[in-house]
Amino acid sequence: MIAGHIVSALAVVLALGPLAPLAQAQANASPGGGASPAPEEDGQWIMPGKDYASTRFSGLSQISPRNASRLRPVWSFSTGVLGGHEGQPLVVDKTMYVVTPYPNVVYAFDLTKEGYPLRWKYRPNVSAAAIGISCCDVVNRGAFYADGKIIYNLLDGHTVALDAATGKELWKTRIADVNAGETTPMAPLVVKDRVIVGTSGGEYGVRGWVKGLDLNTGKLVWTGYSIGPDDEVLAKPGTFKPFYQRGSQLARDSWPKDGWKNGGAPVWGWLSYDAELDLIYYGTGNPAPWNSEQRPGDNRWATSVMARSPSDGSLRWAYQFTPADNWDFDSSQEMILAELTVDGRRRKTLVHFDKNGFVYTMDRATGELLRAEPYVPVNWAKRVDLKTGRPQVDSSKMTGASRGTVEDICPTLEGGKNQQPAAFSPLTRLFYVPTNNMCMDYTASNVAHIKGAPYIGASVPYKAGAGGHLGAFMAFDPVQGRKIWEIKEPYPVWGGALATAGGMAFYGTLDGWFKAVDARTGTVLYKFKVGSGVVGNPISYRGPDGQQYIAVYAGFGGDWLLLSGDVRSDDPTDVRPPASFMPDIARHTSQGGIVWIFGL
Amino acid sequence: MRRRVLLSMLALHLGTVTGVAAQRTAPPAVRYDQHVPAGGQLPPAGTLRNPFKDSKRAADEGGKLFSAFNCDGCHAGGAVGAVGPSLADGRWRYGGSDGEIYHSIFYGRPRGMPAWGGTLPADAIWRLVSYLKSIEPSRDTAATTRW
Repeated sequence: MIAGHIVSALAVVLALGPLAPLAQAQANASPGGGASPAPEEDGQWIMPGKDYASTRFSGLSQISPRNASRLRPVWSFSTGVLGGHEGQPLVVDKTMYVVTPYPNVVYAFDLTKEGYPLRWKYRPNVSAAAIGISCCDVVNRGAFYADGKIIYNLLDGHTVALDAATGKELWKTRIADVNAGETTPMAPLVVKDRVIVGTSGGEYGVRGWVKGLDLNTGKLVWTGYSIGPDDEVLAKPGTFKPFYQRGSQLARDSWPKDGWKNGGAPVWGWLSYDAELDLIYYGTGNPAPWNSEQRPGDNRWATSVMARSPSDGSLRWAYQFTPADNWDFDSSQEMILAELTVDGRRRKTLVHFDKNGFVYTMDRATGELLRAEPYVPVNWAKRVDLKTGRPQVDSSKMTGASRGTVEDICPTLEGGKNQQPAAFSPLTRLFYVPTNNMCMDYTASNVAHIKGAPYIGASVPYKAGAGGHLGAFMAFDPVQGRKIWEIKEPYPVWGGALATAGGMAFYGTLDGWFKAVDARTGTVLYKFKVGSGVVGNPISYRGPDGQQYIAVYAGFGGDWLLLSGDVRSDDPTDVRPPASFMPDIARHTSQGGIVWIFGL
Repeated sequence: MRRRVLLSMLALHLGTVTGVAAQRTAPPAVRYDQHVPAGGQLPPAGTLRNPFKDSKRAADEGGKLFSAFNCDGCHAGGAVGAVGPSLADGRWRYGGSDGEIYHSIFYGRPRGMPAWGGTLPADAIWRLVSYLKSIEPSRDTAATTRW
């Protein structure tokens, strides 16, 4: 064991030699910047994915496989909120910022004082109506710090900017319409003077969009729809150059007449930005409804990645991962920007672990598909054709109201991975990926669109995938399509990953364990039961005392609040039978938001 | 297929039930069992009578409406709860008498329950009430020990 520690410590020291990739990954870190030289690791965590490349990699190295077994909780705080605590805290200078699920309270903790008392607290008045039209619990995926402001979305369709020093509300803009099924749990991305936000509502018949707001006033500057006519998708002749599907009106004519008007393709996940190309990247959600027979066609740009200019929103390229989606395979998972060697060539790539079970490696300048490899068991498609960019679908796994129940489709509509973001270490050159291991039976049915009501048209029970475990945390090489190691978990791994320069990876589990792992071997070096299931994403920062800390939310929820039976205790009128595929989760966890900080 | 027929029937029905007609079906104030009467004095209010009380046929039709109008999109098939609470556990956030459930559907509730009184005719709402009341809680759910 000791020998093992020395070997891994040596590996870390050796790996720390060439810091060029690290510097490159950090180059995109400062909002507003781009041309500026790569900053040193500043010990902060100012945006959801750590940097614009969404690596979730911290350059801090004090905590390492040598000492990780000495980790201990140093502080905790009840948020007083029971909803699923997806997202992550921010640490800016000497303050930690925490956004809760509905009712979207913000806490600002003073890290310089014992016990980290509040500097301020912000309590918005958020419409309760948003609760009932949030498909998957009342989550919030976090805030973004830029220009002295904390910027985040309220669930009921508002974006707010707060003075980071005082908590004073600087502006508040209504961006979405709850009555039309739109809610806004996603985390904004700020690029230069633009705040980019998107809407949820793929289960309520929305028409998905992203909007660009002015950072200083909150005023709407542009709206780019995911689907519909070119002028509203902002696909302009001359600047819109997709690598595969060419032509005009691609996002209108791949739908039945007017089908795009309630066609979903929401934007509820993470956004990335490449300063050199000046492009933002994000994935779109499922086409609506889930019964594909009501929307014949490819349904572009649902289940796609979109590359836009942040200043005016114009679409530069797009690529659809799952054409004519039959399985609710949203592509809202993060786009990680990494420099990878593919076929002997160094490429500026975008890596995306899709719900559909494939991990895609693309040229992020052109949208060319370089690799598509399964990272979990996949049976709805045999492979993805790199020439055409299209999956080779197994027709026996296609669904629709006329097909009755289609059994044993893998992965489920929860995805090989869902909102839980992966991390990329430029040191190990591996991706650390929280995954689900489940299959589904899919029964589609005809459904009418009724404004303000759900628009789904399918019933889809789950079951465990091969091996019987429901999730795994893994280290993965997307170019080789190779799993390096994995830690099997009894439940879906719904919390995100963190990788650090100390050679560590961190994640939390649905049954409430926070785990610290040797990034090279997958050996669990430390774990702690944090009081509620983890669906949030760990971060790392340097405290005012110069020490490295890891922070993570506990707070069971997200999709699993709806599906896990009797984990909720706050409502005496809502008692549910246990779910067949994980009947005992309520034995291990209950709801409740807690912010945890770990240190040596 | 039957659902489609039902839907188009209702669509026809809906064509005639707007504005004035919807007003006609507005229920009187309901006395809520769960509310505390100040001074021990009950406020003036009525109770609503379900015209389909104990009708198995109405309950069956209500079950189809529960799916056709996407109620199952929130409350899940069998009304066991998903985004919206369980309506199958014998427990009611806003009261479980027929009239109270009618009110919940007609006027909606905060926290996202849509108000259906402008869209659904009274007899459809009563059928939904009949369906929900026909669901028996499968067992005593107070203590969970079935791991």
